[in-house]
Amino acid sequence: MIARDKSQASLLQVFKAVLWSFLGIRRRAEHEADAIRLRLPQVVAVGIMCAALFVFTLIFVVHLVITRATT
Amino acid sequence: MAHSTADAAVAGHAHDHHDHAHDDHAHAAPSGFMRWLTTTNHKDIGTMYLWFSLTMFFVGGVLALGIRAELFKPGLQLWHPEFFNQLTTMHGLIMVFGAIMPAFVGFANWLVPLQIGAPDMAFARMNNWSFWLLPPAATLLVVSFFVPGGATAAGWTLYAPLTTQMGPGMDLAIFALHILGASSIMGSINIVVTILNMRAPGMTLMKMPMFVWTWLITAYLLIAVMPVLAGAITMTLTDRHFGTAFFNAAGGGDPVMFQHVFWFFGHPEVYIMILPAFGIVSHVIPAFARKPLFGYSSMVYATSSIAILSFIVWAHHMFVVGMPAAGVLFFMYATVLIAVPTGVKVFNWLATMWRGSMTFETPMLFAVGFLFVFTMGGFTGLICAIAPIDLQIQDTYYVVAHFHYVLVAGSLFAMFSGAYFWLPKWTGHMYDETLGKWHFWLSIIFFNVTFFPMHFLGLAGMPRRIPDYNIQFADFNMLATIGAFGFGLSQLVFLYTVLKCIRGGEKATAQVWEGAEGLEWTLSSPPPYHSFEVPPQVK
Ligand SMILES: [Cu+2]
Repeated sequence: MIARDKSQASLLQVFKAVLWSFLGIRRRAEHEADAIRLRLPQVVAVGIMCAALFVFTLIFVVHLVITRATT
Repeated sequence: MAHSTADAAVAGHAHDHHDHAHDDHAHAAPSGFMRWLTTTNHKDIGTMYLWFSLTMFFVGGVLALGIRAELFKPGLQLWHPEFFNQLTTMHGLIMVFGAIMPAFVGFANWLVPLQIGAPDMAFARMNNWSFWLLPPAATLLVVSFFVPGGATAAGWTLYAPLTTQMGPGMDLAIFALHILGASSIMGSINIVVTILNMRAPGMTLMKMPMFVWTWLITAYLLIAVMPVLAGAITMTLTDRHFGTAFFNAAGGGDPVMFQHVFWFFGHPEVYIMILPAFGIVSHVIPAFARKPLFGYSSMVYATSSIAILSFIVWAHHMFVVGMPAAGVLFFMYATVLIAVPTGVKVFNWLATMWRGSMTFETPMLFAVGFLFVFTMGGFTGLICAIAPIDLQIQDTYYVVAHFHYVLVAGSLFAMFSGAYFWLPKWTGHMYDETLGKWHFWLSIIFFNVTFFPMHFLGLAGMPRRIPDYNIQFADFNMLATIGAFGFGLSQLVFLYTVLKCIRGGEKATAQVWEGAEGLEWTLSSPPPYHSFEVPPQVK
């Protein structure tokens, strides 16, 4: 493990970057900060987590719709 | 501009360096056919990929004209229905696997090393091997028309149980797809390794040109899904010859499982065929709007998110096959949501053009044409994604119209745009602008004449992949056939323009287009055979 220094992103920052990227939008200043502090493995890991989260959210919404429709 | 002069100086130095370093073994270089057979040079291989795909584009195009000729009038005139099915199947297979995919690999071979400042691809010999796998595979596909029973007629989607009932043409197609898949996987590994390891000093990931980014992501998609296709067709092969029953219902297998596996490959495949097109357009529009790409980082993010989402929408191709209501809703919602990052891209291209000082040379014409017509294909895609509507239009000409708007007006127009954009760089000559403009206008008009009426035909209920049709569809079909022949003939203008450009013409400068940016424009036109032997410095 590389020692944690100031330039490294917190988990929350990685999440924020990934979630914005799902929409496909990012502010230039924040992007430039991302480019410095984000590390690729982090982004990939959080990206996969968010994709899973996205799938579960969809399943949940579908579940809501289905149960509403059948009761 | 100081920046690019510095780069040019470095590039010039690289050229000098090449002059003496390579004279040592230049005498050993084979010539004629052996040069092309043994080459490990990314430019040679890129050129071969592009010529191969152009050839296959014409082969697939002739098959398409065979389809349209039969559909000119209702009733059966030219072909037996069995042969008509072979035409539709092989048109799809050859265009997808023989034309579009290798063409983008050709662009990647030429451009990725030039754009990241690398001397060549990472695995130069494997690069040669990935190309030379293609001609045998193409031969298998074409030869399969002449074996007993003819070519496979199961549709390009290769659905069971049709595939378990076909003659030996099916086996040839399976073998050809295996070879093409192996070639794609090797090409992708090569591209990923080149991009991740061979960038010039200072070229961080977030400074990479968009074409390189889109190909990096496309390559990961290919590595992820080509083995899935290989697995599915191998299971088909063992069902046919080795007594298994994966997809054979009579033996307890499940034909619907094939569809799930196929479309798990098939939907990401759609993005494999369109993401590099997005990359090309993201170079052409800024160059001719004379403005940097609006929202570069959001383009990168949108591309990644399209790639991830592309894995969770596959069953939108199967609404009619039958699945639980929850499944239908899930795939419908997911599909509609994937339109968001795609819309972001369209927005970014429009914003790039906004208040730019635009000129409309042929590459820009094709890019703007792409934008208009691809967006229409995107919208009809959304319409198809709505399950209740899809139940009506599944397997009709509406779907045929939709995916030709995406693949012809999307992928193909972007490739034409890129070809005209980089031809002067590749050949050292300017192409004939008048001919290029003719090519564009003929293409976009005949494209719409061919495919726009198909929306109406589909909504009126004309089924696809059937050689005959009811009389009420006659007028639009006749129009579509006229358009198709016009479109096909217009492509000869492209062939002629390219040949003319290779043979001569006004000398191209290194910069070629005043608004173009990137390392490839710092090299002479054509670039030296060995470029960037000393890596350029990127600031
Ligand atoms: Cu799809």
